[in-house]
Amino acid sequence: MNFRAIFLALVIGTALVVSAFLINSRRPRVVVEQPSASFVTASGKCAECHRNNQYSIVHEYEMSKHAAKGVTCLDCHQVAQGQTGTNHNGFVINFGVTPANCKTCHAAIYEQFVRSRHAAPSWVAVAGNQDFSPEMIEQMEKLHPGSMKRPPHPLTKLEGGPAAQSGCIACHSIGRPNADGTIGNCTFCHTRHTSSVAVARLPSTCGQCHLGPDHSQLEIYTESKHGIMFAAQQNLMNLNAPSDTLTTKDMFVPTCATCHMSGINGRGVTHDPSERLSYNLFAEVTQPRPNAERAQAKMKDICLQCHTPSLVNRVYTEGAAVVDATNEKVLAAKAIMDSLKAEGLISTNAFSQPVQLTYFDLWHYYGRTAKHAAFMGGADYVQWHGNYPMLQHMVELKAQAAELRKDNAK
Amino acid sequence: MQNNWLRQPRTWVELFVLSNLGGLAPDIFLAHSTNHFQARAEWVPLVFSLSAPVILLAAIVTLALGKLSPWRILGNVTGWISIFIGVVGLVLHLKSQFFQQWTLASLVYTAPFAAPLAYTGIGLLLVLNRSVDAQAREWAEWVIFLALGGFMGNFIFSVTDHAQNGFFRQVEWIPVIASALAVGFLTVPLIIRVNEGYFKICFAMLALQVLVGLAGFALHLHADLHGVGKNLFEKVVRGAPVFAPLLFPNLAILGGIGLWTLRTMLDGTSDAATVNRS
Repeated sequence: MNFRAIFLALVIGTALVVSAFLINSRRPRVVVEQPSASFVTASGKCAECHRNNQYSIVHEYEMSKHAAKGVTCLDCHQVAQGQTGTNHNGFVINFGVTPANCKTCHAAIYEQFVRSRHAAPSWVAVAGNQDFSPEMIEQMEKLHPGSMKRPPHPLTKLEGGPAAQSGCIACHSIGRPNADGTIGNCTFCHTRHTSSVAVARLPSTCGQCHLGPDHSQLEIYTESKHGIMFAAQQNLMNLNAPSDTLTTKDMFVPTCATCHMSGINGRGVTHDPSERLSYNLFAEVTQPRPNAERAQAKMKDICLQCHTPSLVNRVYTEGAAVVDATNEKVLAAKAIMDSLKAEGLISTNAFSQPVQLTYFDLWHYYGRTAKHAAFMGGADYVQWHGNYPMLQHMVELKAQAAELRKDNAK
Repeated sequence: MQNNWLRQPRTWVELFVLSNLGGLAPDIFLAHSTNHFQARAEWVPLVFSLSAPVILLAAIVTLALGKLSPWRILGNVTGWISIFIGVVGLVLHLKSQFFQQWTLASLVYTAPFAAPLAYTGIGLLLVLNRSVDAQAREWAEWVIFLALGGFMGNFIFSVTDHAQNGFFRQVEWIPVIASALAVGFLTVPLIIRVNEGYFKICFAMLALQVLVGLAGFALHLHADLHGVGKNLFEKVVRGAPVFAPLLFPNLAILGGIGLWTLRTMLDGTSDAATVNRS
């Protein structure tokens, strides 16, 4: 036997094996400790093609908390209950991720979302309730009176399919039912592949839909002290803080999510933005919500994380006064419309006469704006984008009513 | 026809190259099918693998007939083309993910940038066969060296390919260990003199490579048959590389040729001294 030769051969061979073990041990545990080989392979294999074809989605995923925690492409794209799988380059996947996929890990969050106006009521507003079961309609109607037992908004038909598709539906599909039985899409707020809580906490994320004359929340927020401070200090905040440990140290300036959803300082996160709302400010004539007292207490509790009780109570008192005043103005306008209807001067076709548009603008744009601004610290929107246009439209409404009666008398 | 031509090691190398070039055709077809032959250049190795064996067959016939001049020309031309394809392939594969990112993950999932060097190795064998006397010790050492290079490649691919699924099954370490042993045992005859006993161990080690390769082929085929895909072709293209484990027996044959030739030389020369040393 040639001991030296054998020894040398074994040293070389062993050194190679040890180097392989060492290199393999450097791979992150979250990447390799998966339930099956497919899950280990998935993200790397997907990236192999998609990095060239759609670089952003791979890059965004790699920056995400999901990636850091070992959630692979296949975790979210696997075929959930009610979904149909597709063979895709060696994997069976579901292309369109829905809450059916998200709720496999985030079930409680999905349950909160389903109870919210973001879910079914949002879709019913543009598409009607035929897509939902009678049980769902009854259940949601109790939570959000008037939101489920209603026809599609007449504007969707009047303005036509393309306008509705690219306009109304683009926002209201946050509550669209999916073929797998779930509702909506979490990526509306958390964005695809980033799956980011930081993105969801940005005012601009809510503002992708909550802006414009019908609900000017983004503009109101931007005008408010909250918005001004956010613009100035955003880079000092920790928008990525986990929702279960989020504190006012992380977000010492509130965004929409802080007040309406976040579990700041242990207050308990919710994905039902209605949970802390005491008035239905969106309505023609605002009423307290079914859970008004409890909701207001919850919201005040959030306010108190930064403000004194006296300030919080003053805001609520002044806001309630604006609600009452706006209701009076809207009711006065409504009385004119009702009398015109009684006189047979209003067409049964919605949005077919100038007076109908004037009244709609009065409450739907300016009434809403004034009420929202009163609670959100947007003085200019209470006055110049709210009450003044309401006054202007009231004058116009009276003139149009007089004109209609005059024409009718001829 | 020249006497004993079939018993000459250089004929074995010619046949080895012929079978390898032919065998590379389906392998390349499957490998480049993963991205649907996206670049035109991806057809080049396939066309070469299909046509070169015909030229080599002609070369072997001329060798059998004792006409060495056409044998040299045909082999050298095929060999240099093969070397060129391998080097260009390497450069093209270098444009892959790993060289954009330089991370462990991208190394694992990158295109096999060293794989085209199989053509270079095959081409070098053809040129070697025509430029170095097959009776010389140097020839045997070069053959062993090229087999060693192949096993080094096998080692790297076994590590990186199986790292893709995180060595999910312990059995995936077997080819890593086997190829590391092959590298170790084939390196030694190139740096020190070895004796008959060592050759026997080497041949046993090469037999082990054959078993590992065949077992790997069976396991990869089984995984592919039970894999995901619309049809068998897609399962094979997207699944475990079914032909890859056959590189083990393939390189074992090449290493065997080199070792056998070297051993024969030692028999007639300085064997006694080598044996005495042990």
